[in-house]
Amino acid sequence: MDFPIEYYPGRSFFHRLDPRAKLVFLLFFTVVIAAIQHIYVVVAVFLTVIALWCLAGLPLRTMGGYLRMWGGLMAFLFVVHAIMHPGEVVLINPLIPPFVPLIGGRGSVTKEGILFAFTITVRQLALISILPLVSMTTPIHLFALGLVRFGLPYQLAYTITTALNMIPVLQAELRIIMDAQRLRAFGTFEKGNPIARMKAYPLLVTPLVIGAMRRAQLSAVAMESRGFGAKGKRTYIEDITFKPKDWVFICLTTLYCLAALLVNFLG
Amino acid sequence: MDIGDPYIIIDNVSYRYPGTKCYALKELNLTIYKGEFVAILGEHLAGKSTFCQLLNGIIPNFKGGRMEGSVIVGGLDTQEVSVAELAQKVGIVLQDPEAQLFTTKVLSEVAFGPENLCLDVEEILERIKWALEVVHLTGFEERPPTSLSGGQKQRLAIAAALAMRPEVLVLDEATTQLDPVGTLEVFSVVRELNEKYGMTIVMATHKSDEVAQFADRVLILHRGRLIAQGTPQEVFGKAELLRRATIRPPQVSQLATYLEERSLHLSEFPITIEQAKRGIERLFNGETSR
Repeated sequence: MDFPIEYYPGRSFFHRLDPRAKLVFLLFFTVVIAAIQHIYVVVAVFLTVIALWCLAGLPLRTMGGYLRMWGGLMAFLFVVHAIMHPGEVVLINPLIPPFVPLIGGRGSVTKEGILFAFTITVRQLALISILPLVSMTTPIHLFALGLVRFGLPYQLAYTITTALNMIPVLQAELRIIMDAQRLRAFGTFEKGNPIARMKAYPLLVTPLVIGAMRRAQLSAVAMESRGFGAKGKRTYIEDITFKPKDWVFICLTTLYCLAALLVNFLG
Repeated sequence: MDIGDPYIIIDNVSYRYPGTKCYALKELNLTIYKGEFVAILGEHLAGKSTFCQLLNGIIPNFKGGRMEGSVIVGGLDTQEVSVAELAQKVGIVLQDPEAQLFTTKVLSEVAFGPENLCLDVEEILERIKWALEVVHLTGFEERPPTSLSGGQKQRLAIAAALAMRPEVLVLDEATTQLDPVGTLEVFSVVRELNEKYGMTIVMATHKSDEVAQFADRVLILHRGRLIAQGTPQEVFGKAELLRRATIRPPQVSQLATYLEERSLHLSEFPITIEQAKRGIERLFNGETSR
């Protein structure tokens, strides 16, 4: 499954925003999502992010796949929280039969536990859903420029964006490795049981890591050969300008975030 | 192409990569002249890539390691100036088309180098226009590099190097991963650069058939040492030496060697099909003396 992070060309409202405005949005929303706990607020914020996906014209089929990719982890998160969270209205009790030594008779699934687990899971989903909104609507060099304009040294900004850029490349490489292994009748990753899969991981990860290191080294040579890190104030042929609509967007983002926090803590 | 003054002077260079005891290059002495087309042939691990990276200062400035001797490029000692400064003298194109292209569109790929040099925007745009024209990629400005064919990607890498306005273009196995069509695209651009713009070309490759047609001088590297150099005709005629360095000469040269071993001498040692054709015709007409 693809990890949608690569730039997805488009002319939506989101695509045309200044990268700095989008970075502010990313920061504010991350903070708010990390802070909120109220179930209705969490659901509302998640739905807002999904609505923004539609507004940004992101490919919804790919995005659905992206959410499904996290399904296993989310299910795990849900179950753990549902069991661990204390509550009054008991639904299943006890979860662990009394005859189990030491921990027998403990753990129960309560209504509060289920609701809490649901909130936490949706919150995680909201958190992972905001990055594509920025990364898929901003060309990588403008993303770097946004970071530079925020005062980050150019070398650091470029390192961050190059790392982001590596993700789709590594994905393609991973697919090639898996195909090559499949062609030689090695299908553990699709069909094997979890333990067999775990054992087979080095076979997948080793060529991937070695390939990534080799590629990173070559890219470094290519960049260095084209004057990366030369002294002086670097020129950018494409500049970014903060327009009134970016201010409006930041104001709306701020208002939305304040409202979410207010409702969460007072409501 | 007229050959001009010395431009790169390699004086008794030996080099070891960091953490190794074995020399990647050993006692190398060589002068490359302005406007020359130099081809470097050698088996895998013969030192071709090391040699290429020696010319633009990546070795030793970026890669480290231990270097003896000196490399002077356009009057600058590569051990004393930065890679960024040398990048304006020597442009380099690497083997892997993907690893050396790292932006999201053709325009920003070519702009990357001159932007680092802190040039004016107008100057950069002018350079991009020129570089894309030279490699015949005008009109591709907004395309993502990932959507290009192998040959186009390598031509883009050439444009990116040209935008630095170098005197020398180094191609490190730049056609190895390309199909015959892509190889031809790259070779014709490189040839045009050499003939029309007088650019010095240093090309590491193992495609000897193409080298025979274009190069002024061929160097043979074997285990880090320069074991032969000369015109393609001189070098490809040394069958025993080529066999030792496991280099495959052009097919027509192989044919000529085969005939010579059977005491059938062509009037001139062929490196191109045209020459072979001429030689064999004369052989049939009874003119065998050389």
